[in-house]
Amino acid sequence: MTDVPVLDVRAMSKVYGAGETAVHALRDVDLVVRRGEYVAVIGQSGSGKSTLLNILGCLDAPTSGHYLLEGLDVADLDERQQSILRNRQIGFIFQSFNLIPRTTALANVELPLVYAGVSRRVRRERARAALDLVGLGTREDHRPNELSGGQQQRVAVARALVTTPALLLADEPTGNLDSASTADVLGLFDSLHRAGRTIVLITHDDEVAARADRIVVVTDGVLREATPATRAEAVGRVTR
Amino acid sequence: MNVVEVVRFAVAGLLANRLRSLLTMLGIIIGIAAVILLTALGNGAAQYIQGQITGLGANSITIIPRAAGGSAGSTSGASARPLTTEDAAAIADPQGAPDVAFVAPVVQTSVDAASGRSSTTATVVGSTPDYFPGSNTRIAAGRAYDAADLAAARKVALVGRTVADDVFGPGSTPLGQEILLDNVPFQVVGVLEARGQGGGLANPDQNVLAPLTAVQSSLTGYGNLSQIVVGARSTDAQAAAESEINSILDRRHGIAAPDDRDYQVISSRQLAQVLDQTLSAFSLLLAAIAAISLVVGGIGITNIMLVSVTERTREIGIRKALGAPPSAILGQFLVESVILSVLGGLIGVAVGTAGTLIPLGDFRPVVVPSAVVLAVGVSVAIGVFFGGYPARRAARLRPIEALRRE
Ligand SMILES: Nc1ncnc2c1ncn2[C@@H]1O[C@H](COP(=O)(O)OP(=O)(O)OP(=O)(O)O)[C@@H](O)[C@H]1O
Ligand SMILES: [Mg+2]
Repeated sequence: MTDVPVLDVRAMSKVYGAGETAVHALRDVDLVVRRGEYVAVIGQSGSGKSTLLNILGCLDAPTSGHYLLEGLDVADLDERQQSILRNRQIGFIFQSFNLIPRTTALANVELPLVYAGVSRRVRRERARAALDLVGLGTREDHRPNELSGGQQQRVAVARALVTTPALLLADEPTGNLDSASTADVLGLFDSLHRAGRTIVLITHDDEVAARADRIVVVTDGVLREATPATRAEAVGRVTR
Repeated sequence: MNVVEVVRFAVAGLLANRLRSLLTMLGIIIGIAAVILLTALGNGAAQYIQGQITGLGANSITIIPRAAGGSAGSTSGASARPLTTEDAAAIADPQGAPDVAFVAPVVQTSVDAASGRSSTTATVVGSTPDYFPGSNTRIAAGRAYDAADLAAARKVALVGRTVADDVFGPGSTPLGQEILLDNVPFQVVGVLEARGQGGGLANPDQNVLAPLTAVQSSLTGYGNLSQIVVGARSTDAQAAAESEINSILDRRHGIAAPDDRDYQVISSRQLAQVLDQTLSAFSLLLAAIAAISLVVGGIGITNIMLVSVTERTREIGIRKALGAPPSAILGQFLVESVILSVLGGLIGVAVGTAGTLIPLGDFRPVVVPSAVVLAVGVSVAIGVFFGGYPARRAARLRPIEALRRE
C-alpha cells in the first residue's frame, strides 16, 4: 500500500463565481505527493496557492477534476466522513491562525481531540505536550487576545500537531513570525519530516522553501514543478 | 464526541454572552408566565362565579313579581297580578309540575331588629323549611325552624351573622335569647353561616329567617308573596321545571305572550349559561394574548440564535476545519437554544405560579395544570424548532465558506 500517494490531484480546476466575473483560481492542476515528502508551494499573491491548499485540506471542493486522499476520492465522501478525514488525517495551519476567541490556548489545542472522542484526561495530557513542543507550556491558560502573533501561530501549530496527523498542510505558517520564531517552527517541521510525516506548506520565503524536498510553483492557477535546475531561479523570481 | 461535550460547548457559548442569554430567556419567561397567569386568571374567575351561582342554591329557581308593564308599552288591559300563596300551591301540585321537588313561598319585609343592648335594620324572610336548601342557606349554630314551628306559627328566628353582631355584640351566639322584630319578640334558635356580600343583590348576612306563618301573623299580614323559591328534582330537571312553572303561572295570570309576563323566573341555570358564554369569550381573549406573548418569545430565541450563529460563523468554520461533524455543530447550537427555552420555561412556570398566589379582589387565580404542561411543551418546541433552523444552517456551512465570512 506504500505506493498509493498520500495526495493525488488529477485535472483539478477551481472557478470562483460565474460568467463575466468568474475567477479561474486553479486550471487543470495535477499533483502527486508521496508519503513522507516535504513540498513547498510558492507563487505570487493571488496565484491560487491557498485555494489549492484549502481543497487539499477538504475545506473546499474543486469545480472539476478529482482529488484522491490516500487513494480515496474525497468527492465520494459525505459531510460526516469528510469531517472524520479532517479530524484524523489532516493537520491544517491557517494563514491567519484561526484560534477560537475567548478560549484558552490549552482548550484550543484540545479541540480536535474533543471531536476525535478522546477522553478528557488523555486530551489534556496530549494538548499540554503539544504546547510544550512549541515552547508555550507556560502560556496554556492565556486566551488568543493575550498572546503575541507569533505565539498565536505556535498555538495553531500545536493544534495541528496534537492529533499526530499523517498529513500536515500549512498556509504560510511563518508569515507572521520573527526570524527566531520562524526558525523554531521550521525546526519543528524538519523534525516532523524526519519522523515521516507528509508536509505541504505555502511560503513566500525562499529560506523556508529551501528546506523542502520539492518546490511547486503556482502561476495564475497553473501548477509547475520546479526542477533542481529551475529551483533556484524559481525561488529567486517569485520571492525577489 | 459525546453528549457531555456538546452540552459543555453549549453552556460555554451561553456563558460567553451572559446578558444576551438572560434577555433572550426573559422573552420566554414572560411568555410562559403570561400563559400560566392569564389562564389561571380566567380559570379563577370562572370558578369564583360558578361558586357564586351554586351559592344561589343548586337546582333552585326563584320566581319574583315583575313590575306592571315591565316590558315597555304592553300594559294590555289586564293589570299585573302579584304572586300569591295560591300560585305557590299550584306550582307545588305534582300533577301540573312533576319536575318540581319543593316550593317555598317567601314573604320579606324590612324591620327594626333589637335586643336590650342595641338595634339595627334587618330583612325578615318568612318561608318554609324548604327555603334552607332552596336558598343554599347553612346554619352555623343552633337549628333551623321545622314543619312543627311552621304549623304552630312559633315565633322562632335564625339570625344572619351581621344581625347577630349588631344586635347581640360581635361574634356572639345568641341562642335562646330574645330578639325584637318591630317590637315583636322572637326567640333566636339559630345563627346563619356568614356568606358575605355577593350571593345576590341583598346581603344574606343581614337576614333574619323565621317561619312563614309567624311572619305573616305578626309582621306582614296574609298578603302577597315577595318571591317563590322552587327546587327542581335534579339539575337536569331544572329546564323542565322552569317551563312547567311558566305554563302554570301563564294560565293563572292570564298571560298570552311571554313578553306580557308579570313575573320573572330566575334560575342558576340561566345565570350559568350567560356567564359561561361571557367567561369563555374572556378566557379565549386571555389565551390569545398569552399565545401572542409566547410567539414573541419564540421569535426572540430564533433571532438571538440567528445572531449567535452569524456572529460565530468563523468559529463554526474553525470547528468544522478541525473535524467537527455536522451533528456536533447542530447539537451545540440546538442545545444552546433548548437550554435557553427550557430554563426560561421553568423560570416562567415558577414566576407565573408565584404570580397566581396574589389574590385579586374577591377571587384567587387558579392554575390550570394543562396550561402549564402546554406552556412548557411549547417552550421546548420553540427551542427545538426556532433554534433548530439557525443550527441547521450553521451545520450545513462548508468550512471554507464559514471561515471566509467575517
Ligand atoms: N471566495 C472567493 N471568491 C472569488 N474569488 C476568490 C475567492 N477566493 C479567492 N479568490 C480569487 O482566487 C485567486 C486565488 O486566490 P488565493 O487565495 O488562492 O491566492 P494565494 O495564492 O493564496 O494568494 P496569497 O499569497 O496572497 O495568499 C485570487 O485571484 C482571488 O482573488
Ligand atoms: Mg493565500
